[in-house]
Amino acid sequence: MKAPNLLAAPGRSARVAALHAGRVGMLGLATLRALAYPRRYALETVHHAKFIGLDSLPLVLLMGALSGAVMAQQTMYQLSPGLPREIVAGGVVGGMLTELGPVLTAVVLAGRVGAAIGAELGTMKVTNQIDALLTMGRDPVVELVVPRVVAGTIILIPLVMLANAMGVFSGYVTSVGILGLSTAEYVDGAKGYYHHGALIFSLVKAVAYGFAITFISSHVGLRASGGAAGVGRTATRAVVAIIVSIMVLDTVLGPVYKTLT
Amino acid sequence: MIRIIGVHKWLGGRPVLSGVDLDVREGETLAIMGPSGTGKSVLLKHIVGLFDPDAGDILVDGISVPSADRAEMAAVRTRTAYVFQNSALFDSMTVRGNLLMGLPPGFCRGRAPKCEELVRTALDHVNLEPEVLTLLPAELSGGMQRRVAIARAIIGKRRYVLYDEPTTGLDPVNATRINRLIARVSEEVDATSIVVTHDVESAFFLADRIALLSDGVVAAEGTPRQLRETDNRAVREFLDAAPARGPA
Repeated sequence: MKAPNLLAAPGRSARVAALHAGRVGMLGLATLRALAYPRRYALETVHHAKFIGLDSLPLVLLMGALSGAVMAQQTMYQLSPGLPREIVAGGVVGGMLTELGPVLTAVVLAGRVGAAIGAELGTMKVTNQIDALLTMGRDPVVELVVPRVVAGTIILIPLVMLANAMGVFSGYVTSVGILGLSTAEYVDGAKGYYHHGALIFSLVKAVAYGFAITFISSHVGLRASGGAAGVGRTATRAVVAIIVSIMVLDTVLGPVYKTLT
Repeated sequence: MIRIIGVHKWLGGRPVLSGVDLDVREGETLAIMGPSGTGKSVLLKHIVGLFDPDAGDILVDGISVPSADRAEMAAVRTRTAYVFQNSALFDSMTVRGNLLMGLPPGFCRGRAPKCEELVRTALDHVNLEPEVLTLLPAELSGGMQRRVAIARAIIGKRRYVLYDEPTTGLDPVNATRINRLIARVSEEVDATSIVVTHDVESAFFLADRIALLSDGVVAAEGTPRQLRETDNRAVREFLDAAPARGPA
């Protein structure tokens, strides 16, 4: 009987991973190269910025408001006995700027925008629209990927800032209205915690997540195959890949915060 | 001129093309005919660089498509237009947007009136009214989508127009209309046309020359009359098995 080759499966996985990494790298290079021609994608970028930004705003603000309220309550219940009550505002501001604002905004957009981009490009792939672009001498990276990536990378900055502001405001309403803090206690606590490093860290995360959401969903969409069922799988795959990437980036970017404080 | 030289292609672990040799002459309409699954569309996609051959070469006006660099590939694609089997219209764009995509990138910058005139002319060629310009592809019938796809292919006045199963999925009336349209348009825009089809009536109606693809090679090649009269076994089997649809 032939002995099983114990190295076959890991070898195959490594080969698939290397192939995948190569494809991502190629798309990344093509995207960077295409950035040099803004006239070719500027108009489409504005269109996608509206879809990614303006149309997502209500959901992002709602998530910001809810997370600010939760943060205020949990900080109060878990930390304030024995500690000054101002810690609640510090918890809200710190939590919103460094974690909840950027991460939850990104997760919302992963579901809303990532799935939409994955499905849209996936549909274009399986119905030959991408091939049609190529036969017309047009570059799908310039026409489809770059406008989405540029729009997402830029528009996440104001979205995260608005989510942060909404969270801090809702934390204030919760603290004063439910938890019994005075306005002065909340403002003092917020001022005591706030530093520019946290805000810059929030911006860095916004840019990284904006790029990841649009780039990954574009990559997954362009690799779609298998008709309508394939498009469905593509949308799911895009969302899962984006959420995993957000958490990986969240971990990797951790040390950046230390350098900013 | 397009030259296909000894093209081999394997897909999914099986040979699809096994040494195809074919010349497409300037100004002619060549029909590539054959049963489903014999690699007709795969062969057509090699001409525009959507597939690379495992062996062999494709020359478009002397440019080797498989080894073309970016500039050469751009040159090939400004000379060729491809009408996809499912039309492949951009579903997020109106008919006008789709037609404008058929023009070279940046062509309309600063010359909107000229582009509008080209759009109207292309639409006129395929017998569609200007009212459809604001519609989305989803709002058109299958036959109209096919006509818009043809208009998109001819708007840029490309030298070679490649049709991939242009009548598949259409009812006989619309299929006949599309065949007549292709014949007329090929003459009006003075293009060299390659029509891939498994529809015998379409092939014999449209073509100046027909090539029958069978078992991954060109089994027979000649004028419609020569193919009707040949006793080549592959041709006879294919023609005898083909259902008659009535005159195109």
